[in-house]
Amino acid sequence: MKARTRAAATLLTPFFVLFTAVMLIPIGYAVWLSLFTEQQSGLGFGGSETVFTGLGNYTAALGDRVFRDGFLVLLGYCVFYIPLMVGGALALALLLDSALARAKRFFQLALFLPHAVPGIIAAMIWLYLYTPGLSPVVSAMHSGGIGFDFFSPSGALPSIVNIALWEWLGYNMVIFYAALQAIDRSVLEAATVDGAGGWRTAFSIKLPLIRASVLMVVLFTIIGSLQLFTEPLILNTGSGSAVSSSWTPNMYAYTAAFSRNDFGLAAAASVLLALTAALLSFVVTRLTGRKGKNA
Amino acid sequence: MNRSWSRTTLSIAGAATALAVLTACGGSGDDSSSDAGGGKGTAAKPVNITFWGWAKGTKEVVDAYNASQKNIHVTFEETPSGNAGGYAKISNAIKANNAPDLVSVEYPQLPEYVSQGGFQDISKYVTSDVKAKFLPQAIEQTTLGGKNWAIPFDAAPQAFFYRKDLFTKYGVEVPKTWDEFKTAAAKVKKADSKARIGTFFPDDPTTFQAMVWQAGAQWFKAEGTTWKINTTDATTTKVADYWQGLVKDGLVRSDASFSPAWTNSLKTGATIGYLGASWGGGVMKSTLPEQSGKWAVAPIPTWDGKPASGMLGGTTFAVPKNSKKAEAATEFAKWMTTTEDGIKARISSGTSSAFPAALALRPAAKKAFDASFYGGQDIYQVFEAGGSSIKQGWTWGPATGTTNTTLKDQFGKVAGGGATIPGAIKAAHDATVAELTKRGLKVEG
Repeated sequence: MKARTRAAATLLTPFFVLFTAVMLIPIGYAVWLSLFTEQQSGLGFGGSETVFTGLGNYTAALGDRVFRDGFLVLLGYCVFYIPLMVGGALALALLLDSALARAKRFFQLALFLPHAVPGIIAAMIWLYLYTPGLSPVVSAMHSGGIGFDFFSPSGALPSIVNIALWEWLGYNMVIFYAALQAIDRSVLEAATVDGAGGWRTAFSIKLPLIRASVLMVVLFTIIGSLQLFTEPLILNTGSGSAVSSSWTPNMYAYTAAFSRNDFGLAAAASVLLALTAALLSFVVTRLTGRKGKNA
Repeated sequence: MNRSWSRTTLSIAGAATALAVLTACGGSGDDSSSDAGGGKGTAAKPVNITFWGWAKGTKEVVDAYNASQKNIHVTFEETPSGNAGGYAKISNAIKANNAPDLVSVEYPQLPEYVSQGGFQDISKYVTSDVKAKFLPQAIEQTTLGGKNWAIPFDAAPQAFFYRKDLFTKYGVEVPKTWDEFKTAAAKVKKADSKARIGTFFPDDPTTFQAMVWQAGAQWFKAEGTTWKINTTDATTTKVADYWQGLVKDGLVRSDASFSPAWTNSLKTGATIGYLGASWGGGVMKSTLPEQSGKWAVAPIPTWDGKPASGMLGGTTFAVPKNSKKAEAATEFAKWMTTTEDGIKARISSGTSSAFPAALALRPAAKKAFDASFYGGQDIYQVFEAGGSSIKQGWTWGPATGTTNTTLKDQFGKVAGGGATIPGAIKAAHDATVAELTKRGLKVEG
């Protein structure tokens, strides 16, 4: 028994040490920071004094239209992005899993490859591909009569959804493909014997059987979407026009801290964003959990 | 055996994680223990200082300094330019108490950092003989609340860079006034429907603010203990309406400064002019080496034809609050800004066309600059004229971060018609007043 406790402690300690150091302490520090603000006197050149403001930063963040609009941006992004992402990844996975597919290994790797590119590099590559006068894509579109401006405020959302799809489609496809591979082959054979064609098998047999994976991907994608930061930030500095510096809540926090030097406000905005993410995760897991039991 | 194994592993794992945590918290920049703190150092016991910057030719300056003496050793770390993330990095490091001993900061951003308590008062190192070496406006801009917070480096008068060959080809005269500039802009567009005379930079409000400064506006004024903010004066309105017109009529391009789009348009001759400042001379030269000999520099156009200039950017060097080596850091900063060796090292790099704020260094700077990119033109003479016409009395407010972030966000929507330049100024004004009020400062406007 004692040895067992010790073994458990050995295995768990590194986790809890790291968890405390890189999760709990920073979160605690952010909450602490969010309760304070800086006050100055005279013309403001005598340095500043940190004063307790209670929930002042929270009301300031919630009262700021720019911050609230950030959540609307995220909503629009999710509505646009999640169906495309899940639909696309499912379609690709089903194609790979179908009997018709050749060179499965190759396509698996090729589709996954963009995910190996760090987000910031991906965003910079796409920045070039979006820049008029520089991008072969834009000039091809122009000669084809499509005058789409990726850097206009209305073009920003599609531009960013496109980058995200490029980065994540292959990754989620691999998850779906693995789930499809795990389906008992005898079930599929039975379906074939019963006369189900490729489409029927895909929609009536395969999809219901990998529902758990689909829900997991949706959950992760929603949480990931809340963190939207790198791609719009690169687009902001690279174009100056597509998105504002506080376009998403994460960017709002970044700008508050590092452009406006208001760390209290930034911390409050971050805590609010984290709470939203926690709440959403809770709701989605509860919903999916219940459905799973009923099935 | 089993027991001892697990115990050892446990302690190793514990120690390793603790160590990782400690080193991660310790961060960089603070190696004062080995240097016995402050002072100017000696050859036997040199002081090591760390310096962040992005201005062209900085690495060459640091190398020259390290080679010239043994008392102070400078480690240079290149950061992105302020707007492109350099300031975010500095703010972050100051907050985390691991900022370097010396940072580059432009005049507009200095008051913001000072008001946040991010920098040290270096008045005792900026003695009157040091002050006397600089252009009075540069000292004025770095003196806040009666104390010195930074050593000024360059003066950054505005200038107009243009493609001489294409101006001749299109039959366009170099504009002396803003009216002529508009006419010239229309002429360029007419001669080549793809070409434009210049650019409105939505991402860089300081370019626009320099135009307002040049025209004679004073957005921020300190009176007693009250900040007076005035952005609705006739001068500001005139400049805002003028630029709104240029953007609306498509007479200028709208691209982020130094972005791939902007650079590409210069390379392809789609942009044939640049309303910048003295330091832009080196930037153009290093960005467009293949266009050597095709560029020229003219004084910035003015409203009444008489010389007038604002200041666009311009670097100063400041000591973050956590540094324990302010004396060595300012010593090095003074070397960079006031010695001939310092300026020569920077300009000989071939990438810098800095116009020193230290008056005595200008002949040396001019001599070190290879002007073949400008067909041998004496560009320092243009800067000299611009420098002596910098309008006095402009002050930057203590919340430039808020003012300029708001301006930038609004300017981004101007080209698409989602905002106007006068509207953007109004939004920035309101945001600034709100920010100052939030900080507990008295503000009128």
